[in-house]
Amino acid sequence: MKTPNEQFAMPQCLNSKSKPSLFCPGCGESIILKHLGNVVDSENIQSKTTLVIDIGCTLLSWNYFNFDIIQSHHGRSVPVSVGYKMARGSRVVIALMGDGGAYAIGLQSLLHAAFRNDPILAIVINNTEYSMTGGQMAPTTVPNEVTTTSPLGKNASIFGPAFHGPELVRQIANSKAFIARASVGNPTLMDSIITKAIENQQKNNSFSMVEILSICPTNWKTDAAESFEFLAKLEKIYPVGEVKKTLDKKSEDI
Amino acid sequence: MKNDVTKIVLAGEGGQGIQTIAKILSLALVKADYFVSYIPQFGPEQRGTPSVSFIQFSKSQITYPKFDTADIVMVLRRRAIKTIESYIGSKTDVLFDSSTIARQNFTLNNSRLFAIPATKLAEEEFGAKNQNILALAALAKNFLDYPKNALWEIIAEQLGKKFAKNKSLAGKAKEAFDFAYDFSLESKKFTKAEYDTSDSLIVKKNSQRVAVIVPKYCKGCGICILKCPVNALSFGKTLGVYGTPVPEIDIDKCINCGNCYRFCPDCAIRVVKK
Amino acid sequence: MSEKKFITGNEAIVLGTLEGGAEMFFGYPITPATEILEGWIRTASEDINLQYLQAEDEIASGFATLGAILAGKKAFTATAGVGHVLMQDPISMAENERLPFVGIIAQRGGPSTGTVIYSQQEVNLAALGGNGDGLRIVYSASNIAEAYELSAKIFSTAWKYNFPTFLLTDGYLGKQKITTEFSKPLRPYPARKILREDVDKPTHIRNCYGSEPEFSKVLERNISDYKLLITKVAESENYKTSGAKDIILAHGSVASAAKSAIDDLRSDGIKAGLVRPITLRPLDTAQIRSQIRKADRVFVMESAFEQFARLLVYMIPELAGKMVKVFKPAVGFTPEEIYKIVKDHR
Repeated sequence: MKTPNEQFAMPQCLNSKSKPSLFCPGCGESIILKHLGNVVDSENIQSKTTLVIDIGCTLLSWNYFNFDIIQSHHGRSVPVSVGYKMARGSRVVIALMGDGGAYAIGLQSLLHAAFRNDPILAIVINNTEYSMTGGQMAPTTVPNEVTTTSPLGKNASIFGPAFHGPELVRQIANSKAFIARASVGNPTLMDSIITKAIENQQKNNSFSMVEILSICPTNWKTDAAESFEFLAKLEKIYPVGEVKKTLDKKSEDI
Repeated sequence: MKNDVTKIVLAGEGGQGIQTIAKILSLALVKADYFVSYIPQFGPEQRGTPSVSFIQFSKSQITYPKFDTADIVMVLRRRAIKTIESYIGSKTDVLFDSSTIARQNFTLNNSRLFAIPATKLAEEEFGAKNQNILALAALAKNFLDYPKNALWEIIAEQLGKKFAKNKSLAGKAKEAFDFAYDFSLESKKFTKAEYDTSDSLIVKKNSQRVAVIVPKYCKGCGICILKCPVNALSFGKTLGVYGTPVPEIDIDKCINCGNCYRFCPDCAIRVVKK
Repeated sequence: MSEKKFITGNEAIVLGTLEGGAEMFFGYPITPATEILEGWIRTASEDINLQYLQAEDEIASGFATLGAILAGKKAFTATAGVGHVLMQDPISMAENERLPFVGIIAQRGGPSTGTVIYSQQEVNLAALGGNGDGLRIVYSASNIAEAYELSAKIFSTAWKYNFPTFLLTDGYLGKQKITTEFSKPLRPYPARKILREDVDKPTHIRNCYGSEPEFSKVLERNISDYKLLITKVAESENYKTSGAKDIILAHGSVASAAKSAIDDLRSDGIKAGLVRPITLRPLDTAQIRSQIRKADRVFVMESAFEQFARLLVYMIPELAGKMVKVFKPAVGFTPEEIYKIVKDHR
């Protein structure tokens, strides 16, 4: 064994200069980034990966890895990735965004990328709220959940129920697209889902989307145990695993 | 520029309660019939960078939220010094936490340095969460001469919800407040910064495995402790980057399941087989 | 070396972009820029080296353009009116991150959906749009031959100086089919990979910063770079200004009409001339200033209300004293009309 150093507990592709990170204590996104790094290491794709990040807490990862990272605008990591991938087809292109970027301001780009089967991977972090701005209601906020803009709990009859992004995207995505949901509550499964998604981009030249349920202790105002308790509740509302197509398959061929 | 304005900078790590005491201090000054201005420093991060607040008070209207040089600077963590050092002038009174910051951490030549070992006192006597109350009480007494009871009333009102949930916290907070209000600030002999973030790795070994903990990355979230299936982890004495305790590992209890590594958001812990 | 062709303005623009080395196009249909999208796609369908995407909206087409630019491709977009409004989101990112964004703006009437064919009302938005200080380069084409040349040139300017670069046209210019002489543009300045794909020296580009002082340093550097390019990029044309007492200051299609009017005025013995900025931002201030110095009157004519005029007066304050304002928002100028305006003022 090598003499332990500060990078001992880090994926190899992680940029140690970004540590200590800009993320809050207990941040779920940091867990996701670490596992993304682990997959990049195990798939041996560090030298061909490009990460496009959105606005929201994902912007804090602007120097997180030792591969190219470009910070885009809110909801725009998908179109930047699409343009980049068209120009550099051999790269593994990953767009990282939050649920606000993916399902509110950037939804039409996400849908159209899936519809066209653009060969990029969209990773969407779902922590049921807007975190960077201090915990406002998102499409993914679950019924009765309290946020700063749903102080009495989200009223589903006015604001809609829990927004199921992968299930929606699946309806119009190409049949070759890989669409799944993972959770920071199960990092091993998260690794295998991210791996499948990246392989789908590389081997099938197809669109992939992985939503990852995550925790936000700062805005949820929860400690470690409470954070994972709420996450377990979310996993019941938002089922983890690959999302299969439910529409008649023929409709795609018309 | 009016010279009857008193300008204060409060700084520490995110999550340390800097903004909480800034709000309390502002309210206290409002109650004392001053015109007050308070603004936190804003970046895109919620917690990842030092937390800073700017307070001004005066007998007349204050017009602008920021200033160049402070009359009083309070700084509770080493990492925050860099962020606020430019606000310290030759006449600025500086109050710092001598248990987390050593004298030599200040690069400037300022003789008006005063200290209270807030973190040490909190860790050893009053509970870790009360370090900001200790600092606030010392600041209010020594630099503003704010009446003791009036200040406590505002603290009790502002932290009422927290205190209602946790009665013992309330009791400890009052003890910390009383102690710090009457504490004679250190002005020459600063104690060693024994609660400073540890720069060195913690390595624990036995014949089967090696555990490594990196305090300067650890933010004390406690997720590794929660996820350890055999209770081999618990908070220890060493402090991490935010001045929160870093976990300790009982290496013989550990079964090397990998959960702590898998769940740690900050790449601060890992156990491997020998 | 020149060649005679009978083509539309938008066709000439597509040919020009190819001369400039354009490789990829992203767009969304909007009149009067649509033929650039269609023309590019037709060309690309026969050339495997050219790529395109008709995106879901102008925001996506702008951001996808940036994605391709980051990969080192000369990519561009063409839009107009409200599409140009949406495009400010990606352009603002380009301005912040110093990306060589290239856009053709076929101006149409506004605000809102306005009219679909002609105006000069997108000067403010192109020159000073976004939520920054407008560190952009804006050319204005006054005829089809020039639109062709500038369509090539904007790529070189953008990739050399790394600021968003635009060519303003309008629907009269884009949709008119005309016989004209085209001269071969200069050899294009090369593109380069912006994301360098090097794990030892990864490229990390951001647009959001932690504090005001940190961001201020970035902006100071950008502004200083912009100041340095002014004398290298700013261009203008003088037409019959020698001895002119009546000078018209106009750009784009209006300047084209003004040239005919000046020919008629001159043949009537009236000493009229035209000063035509080719770049609206930065302006060729020194040249314009020296040309108007001896004039009695300067007619500032534009198919907009005070947009071009404001850019001029800020840079050349002495212009205000002898300026005759002729503003016709979203409406064109015929040569006859310009002739009459100048003559009536005497």
